[in-house]
Amino acid sequence: MSFLSKITDFFEYLAKRHRLLPWVFAYVALIPLPFILSALFNEYLIDLVNRICLFILLAVGLNIVKGFCGQVTVGHIGLYAIGAVTSAVLSLEPGGFGGALGFGWPIWLSIPSAVLVTACAGLIIGLPSVRLEGAYLALATLGLGESVRIFIAVTPALGSSTGLMMIPAPSIGSYTFDSFTSYYYLVMTAALVGIYFSFSILQSATGRAFQAIREDTIAASVNGINIIKYKLLAFVLSAIYAGLAGALFAHMPPGYLHHNNFTVIEMVTLLLMVVLGGIGNVWGGVIGAIVVAIAYDQTKDLVFYFMDRPIVIQPLVFGLSMVLLVMYMPRGIGGWIEDFQRNRRFIRKSEERASGSTRNT
Amino acid sequence: MAFDFNSLFAFIIFGVTIGVVYGIVALGISLIYSGLDIVHFAHGEMYMFGAFFGLVLVHNIGLPYPLALIGAMVLTALLGMAIERTFYRRLTRAGGGYTVAGMGMIICGFGMSVALVNVAYFIWGAEAEPFRANLNFIPRLTFAGDIEVPESYVLTAIISVILMAALHYFLRHTKMGLAVRAVAHNKDIAYLMGINVPLMISLIFGLACGLGAAAGVLIGPMQSVQVEMGYLMLMKAFAAAVVGGFGSLPGAIIGGIMVGIFENLGAAYISASHKDIYAFLLLILVLMFKPSGLLGIEAKVKA
Repeated sequence: MSFLSKITDFFEYLAKRHRLLPWVFAYVALIPLPFILSALFNEYLIDLVNRICLFILLAVGLNIVKGFCGQVTVGHIGLYAIGAVTSAVLSLEPGGFGGALGFGWPIWLSIPSAVLVTACAGLIIGLPSVRLEGAYLALATLGLGESVRIFIAVTPALGSSTGLMMIPAPSIGSYTFDSFTSYYYLVMTAALVGIYFSFSILQSATGRAFQAIREDTIAASVNGINIIKYKLLAFVLSAIYAGLAGALFAHMPPGYLHHNNFTVIEMVTLLLMVVLGGIGNVWGGVIGAIVVAIAYDQTKDLVFYFMDRPIVIQPLVFGLSMVLLVMYMPRGIGGWIEDFQRNRRFIRKSEERASGSTRNT
Repeated sequence: MAFDFNSLFAFIIFGVTIGVVYGIVALGISLIYSGLDIVHFAHGEMYMFGAFFGLVLVHNIGLPYPLALIGAMVLTALLGMAIERTFYRRLTRAGGGYTVAGMGMIICGFGMSVALVNVAYFIWGAEAEPFRANLNFIPRLTFAGDIEVPESYVLTAIISVILMAALHYFLRHTKMGLAVRAVAHNKDIAYLMGINVPLMISLIFGLACGLGAAAGVLIGPMQSVQVEMGYLMLMKAFAAAVVGGFGSLPGAIIGGIMVGIFENLGAAYISASHKDIYAFLLLILVLMFKPSGLLGIEAKVKA
């Protein structure tokens, strides 16, 4: 605990110097990570870290609509798919493999366009939230998200069964982001910037409006908050995160995209991240994303033999742990973090009071 | 494709029959919603388990089809009650009485759905199994022209009507049905009137799961039985429930029939490979223009 306190103290000291200083420090601290990983373990771990960064982006984005604004959406993976496929199709060369569409746009144009398209899709997915609440909204978004996947799966122009291949890697000048290590800097930057903006949103007037809607919609509307506008805004903001994560996923080194990457199990994984992290807590979401992504990777090939039949037990484990988490640990890791912060504040207050009283006497 | 009135008629008939099955599942979802104020996300899995129970009863034990239907309904109802008692009851209680437990309930149901699919996968494997049932006692209908309706479709129509009539009789004309409606209306006052509310909630859940199982056994002979069949069914049934008006029981059936017809006509005249999307298209259209559904009451607003 004292070690954690020291780290927190250090970051608070940095934040007092300049608002951005802790982020710069974290960025610098994360730069040597791929070299350490490849020296101690192997290259594969860097790929895992890249995917963790994308999952962090997704989880943080989902937290905006779900944690800050309290709208239950389970169609997020559909937005991720839209971002990925749009960017891939826009950047592919025309006349690609298996009748796949291609426009041959430069990548630095296709990624923003994908984010824009996903934001519009987020607006559409958010539209039911104007009329629907809670569980209705969950099912409506589930339907929308799944229909995106089905649409990709049955449309040859979007790489139905073969998937999209040879998606080009982004480059700046002559430097190409085509290896795990070089791509790491791209996704790590995106993840850190994403976390930073998520905090900015939370601390702005918009974030307070989101929280007011989450706590009590009617009271918020009485206080002059435009409910429809802010609900849709939350959906669009989280869609931007999902679209960016999807576009970055499409251009990741193997350059291959298949609709199997956007199935229910991915959605469950994403939900599990947010639930484990504690709904509404940004750092909890980040830690949840890291833990679940590692667990996902480790259990992916775990096969259990039952009556001589190989059984992949990952979905069962994930589903059950989600049920048990909701039942026994509803606040998730975020709950621990909040307790930790409250304890620290309490200790500091009582210390101040103690020192203040000694000075007085 | 040249327009052919006979085939249009056939598509509508098949759409209605499939739609009635959607309607039965939607009926279960609506029943749970009006009774417990939760949306049961694992209801598609109840339908899948029902289909598998029916399959086992017909193939391995050798029961005749109608008995297997009843057996599957009872088994699934028991399974549903057990799940509700062990898992959901805890959450609904934590939410203050039996009200909406919010996000926790939805995520719990979602996780339960994934877990149940994989339990079934443990037991029955991933292959699609054909449901061979002896349906020779049903006449094969022939309509004007050369439209032939297979036995399983006729059976589905008959059994659905029986089930709906039975449910209507139970809810409207028996004392226990009155208690169920009282619980659905207001749990606190139902308590004061001496109704055993926890038991009634179990009963509602069991009934709904039994209905889902009936749909599974009915659809078994038309398509094959497969572990992942519940997921799409859940969403189509939900679309049906919303189209008809959430929480309204006749609306669920009408919505189911509309989804069935819409889907079959879309598959026939627009594109067959996009068949599974039409239900959502209808759902979005209804949500945009008449969000309370065709027969629905305005969505409740919590103050």
